[in-house]
Amino acid sequence: MKGFLIKSAHQKETKEGDICHVLKGMPIFQKLTRRELNAVARILHEREYQPEEIIFRENEPGMGMYIIDSGNVVILSEAANLELTELNAGAFFGEMSLLDAAPRSATAKARSTCRIFGFFQPDLFGLIERNPHLGIKIVLGLSRLICERLRQTNQRAYEFNEALQQMRQGQK
Amino acid sequence: MISLKDRSTQKMLLLLLGALILIVLMFIGQVAKMVIVALLLAYIMDPIVTRLEARGISRAAAASILMLSLITLAVVAIMILVPAIRDQLVTMSSGTQSAKTELALMRLQEVVRDKLAWLGYGDIDLKVKLAEFKTTMSQKIVDFIVSDFIELIVTLVTIPFLMFFFIKDGLTLKKNLIKIVPNRFFEFSLDLIYKMDQQLGNYLRGQFIDAVSFGTLATISLGIMGVPYFFIIGPFAGLANLIPYVGPIAGGLPAVIAAVMESGDVSRAGHVVLVFLGLKLIDDLVIQPMAVSTSVHLHPALVLVTIVIGGHLFGIIGMLLAVPVTGFCKVVITESAQTLKQYRLT
Repeated sequence: MKGFLIKSAHQKETKEGDICHVLKGMPIFQKLTRRELNAVARILHEREYQPEEIIFRENEPGMGMYIIDSGNVVILSEAANLELTELNAGAFFGEMSLLDAAPRSATAKARSTCRIFGFFQPDLFGLIERNPHLGIKIVLGLSRLICERLRQTNQRAYEFNEALQQMRQGQK
Repeated sequence: MISLKDRSTQKMLLLLLGALILIVLMFIGQVAKMVIVALLLAYIMDPIVTRLEARGISRAAAASILMLSLITLAVVAIMILVPAIRDQLVTMSSGTQSAKTELALMRLQEVVRDKLAWLGYGDIDLKVKLAEFKTTMSQKIVDFIVSDFIELIVTLVTIPFLMFFFIKDGLTLKKNLIKIVPNRFFEFSLDLIYKMDQQLGNYLRGQFIDAVSFGTLATISLGIMGVPYFFIIGPFAGLANLIPYVGPIAGGLPAVIAAVMESGDVSRAGHVVLVFLGLKLIDDLVIQPMAVSTSVHLHPALVLVTIVIGGHLFGIIGMLLAVPVTGFCKVVITESAQTLKQYRLT
């Protein structure tokens, strides 16, 4: 009995340690302490998907983000019938849904057998209520990520505009 | 479109069937009442634990603090209220009547003899009937307390125990429940639980605050007016107020009868009615808008039918639980239908 309990506790610790290792590699959770990462790990939902299984569909309500622990996930645009990208272990997707409940802009499908962790808006809101300090740190991490993306988008828009103007001048 | 050939749909249907069987099994016997009451109380008290957690206390410690506070409060309330309630029950069961009551009864009896003799009530003895009614009622209350003493003790120990674990491990229980949901219904279930939590949480907490506030106000008002048995009638009025439409009448009627019988003055009925109208006005204009932010609109006929069914199956507790449980079922059905539309579960 004692052995079983120790084994079970050890398995739980190892599992949480695995999740924390994955989380630590993500920009959103980089500044979190080990204890805070454990608190996040406790509210994650572990799921396993078989190849070709749909994770979420385009236009369905967005509930939160997914973190890939193992396997490959493909992001598709059903409207354009286009494969947008393929994501591997350590990558994450759907993070915008943590902040707003806008419909999903693409479909996510498992390419191979996947083990992924779901981090959802209701759980984030619950965490903010229970542990505001940690909640703020996560929201700040998320804001930093979105700022970085916005900066990159602005840079691309600027480059695109420059290229467009050069094309117009060339035409004249 | 939901296809029955789909494995996920089959799994989901099996899960629902399992849940249904579990609910039916749970509804058989005393366990159902205790689990439902503990779940409702845990659900209502959850924000207090969350606030304590936000102050840096662990969930287990926060749940322990809450339970200890509630138990202390209950012990103090029992120590103060039980002697008063016991005295009032003894007075009630003794069947003694004041001279004023006898006068009122005589007047009423004359009216009955003169006007209602054609109905066959000409030779009715109201004094004897009232004494019989009071003795029978109080005997039933005493019998209930004495005969179900062991059950009462078990309930009083089990409910706080269950409540503590529902509060402490509620999040884990919810997470484990979601874990068994098939992938295709995963986000849908999460979305549904979240929406239900929002609606039901506000509704149930609002109802609880409303019942406690109304009960306290009724007890104080009846106490000031000198209405006998106010310690029993006041809390009863608060609980009855949970039942829409018939509740306020059912809550006020015992107060009217008690006031008239004690004073022998029929005009006292008017005073008590006025006080209850005032309380209902305060309830409708102040307490309900502040406490009950979410209203789960239930059809009056549905409310009455569920109260009758609840009462038939589980007695008074069944009648009280009928409205929140019906509200819960309504939220589950309407939110499921609405959320289902947003997901393409094929």
